[in-house]
Amino acid sequence: MTKEKKIKFFFVIVCLLQIFYIFYFRSGFQPEVIRNPFDKEAGINFALPAEAIEAKNIINSNNLKDFYLSNKIKENIYLYQRILEFNYPIKINKNSDFVFILIREEIPNKCKKLKKGNFLILLKCKYD
Amino acid sequence: MIKNFFHEKVSLLLSFLILSNYLFLSLNFPEIIIKINFVLFLVTVLFFYFNNLVDNFYLKLFFLLMFLIALGTPTYEWDPRSIWLFHAKRIFYDGSIFSVADNYASFSHNEYPNLVPAFSSSLATLLGYWNEVLPKLSFLFMYLPPLILSFAIFKNEKYIIFLSLVFFFIGKYLINGWADGLVAVYFSLSALLMYLLIIENQKNGKDTLYFLLAFCFFVILTLIKNEGIALLLILFVVTFFIIIFKGKLKNNIYNLFYLSFSFIPIILWKYFCFLNGIENDYINSNFFVNLLPRISDFENIKLIGYFIFLNEKFLISLVFLSIVFWIKKNSNLLIYVFTINLLYILIISLIFLATPVDFYFQLDSAAARIVKSINFCLAFFALYNLNAKNVQLSK
Repeated sequence: MTKEKKIKFFFVIVCLLQIFYIFYFRSGFQPEVIRNPFDKEAGINFALPAEAIEAKNIINSNNLKDFYLSNKIKENIYLYQRILEFNYPIKINKNSDFVFILIREEIPNKCKKLKKGNFLILLKCKYD
Repeated sequence: MIKNFFHEKVSLLLSFLILSNYLFLSLNFPEIIIKINFVLFLVTVLFFYFNNLVDNFYLKLFFLLMFLIALGTPTYEWDPRSIWLFHAKRIFYDGSIFSVADNYASFSHNEYPNLVPAFSSSLATLLGYWNEVLPKLSFLFMYLPPLILSFAIFKNEKYIIFLSLVFFFIGKYLINGWADGLVAVYFSLSALLMYLLIIENQKNGKDTLYFLLAFCFFVILTLIKNEGIALLLILFVVTFFIIIFKGKLKNNIYNLFYLSFSFIPIILWKYFCFLNGIENDYINSNFFVNLLPRISDFENIKLIGYFIFLNEKFLISLVFLSIVFWIKKNSNLLIYVFTINLLYILIISLIFLATPVDFYFQLDSAAARIVKSINFCLAFFALYNLNAKNVQLSK
């Protein structure tokens, strides 16, 4: 084996080791996802908080055109951003009649409970 | 080895198709045109793979492995979800890169350039639906033009070393939906093309091909991320002063002038953002308000030094560069590489100092990513200089 071939062989091994390192330790690879990456719902359970997924299910089942979020949810920047981006093209609208609150939050008197999930409650009201 | 500039031509065609996708979306072309454009991109990739399977075999193998990893990796990290893939989702549903004019979800930095999200959205358009895995593959596809072009620059074992540098410095950024790895790779290739075409003024009988490649890479660099604009500006300024110093201005000024048209797309994008009141969070009217109190405190400068100069990959690339240039002296190239990276460090330091958020948080969350461009560039040029005959453009 020539010197060039030895160097080439060594760095091919180095590349393969690095790819394995990326795959095993750094990528967040999920065997369940690669089984069907073409599924519309592929990977959502690994990528998103349960609240965001539940919000989408409630939005779809109630055919909402827009929604709003309680202050408690908005204060949690991670949750706020995930609910907002995951549910696009349904947008957040502060004038919406439909408001999500966390399940541990109190329901304001002027609001009517429409749907209760495991993490969120959908209310019908104007939220200030 | 395939002759006739095969890799350069494939690289040019792929980068051209990435840019045409952006242009078609900008001009509101029908969906069918967007789909055809993306299919052409995929066909070109397949042609590259199967035209001669053993040629550039290792890139093909490694790319396929990364592709499989990406297929099993949902988009879960903060910036990819809140910025890049969210922009892509907006383009996919709204059918336009200009839907950000409403500045909806301002946390997603609506003024950021939209080339990569546009490409991701087109992949979703081709599939006909959005999901949390597939649109992210377009980030990986966008690495192909520079990686394929590099095969024309580095031969045999040097190319495998180049690929190992890519995996070492870019790593998971190849597949996780962040744009920083793309900036790093396009920046290094752009810097080399600028050096060869303008400073070295190499002629190889295929000047037009290389100028077109440089032009496409420059445009892509500016449209990936705001850092790309600063990096390309630095390349132009440094090159301009070097050719003045070397007395080559007269021979090269027109080439440099034509290449400067690569700034037009990003200028148009920034003008659009300006017209719609979409501000940059970092460079705005508060820039000096944040900068001035921090710049006078030496502790802040030390902190920047800690995050940039004590980054382990920065140190490795610096040692690699130093050893290579010590063994094989090339002062022209060293001055060029040193100056562009030093200026970039200066600019990002100013941006860090002017951040509207907590200074330490900003450095802690962003420095390691942003410094990737410097790390990769130093290692890339070290490897370039290591080549026996100081690699020239293919002949």
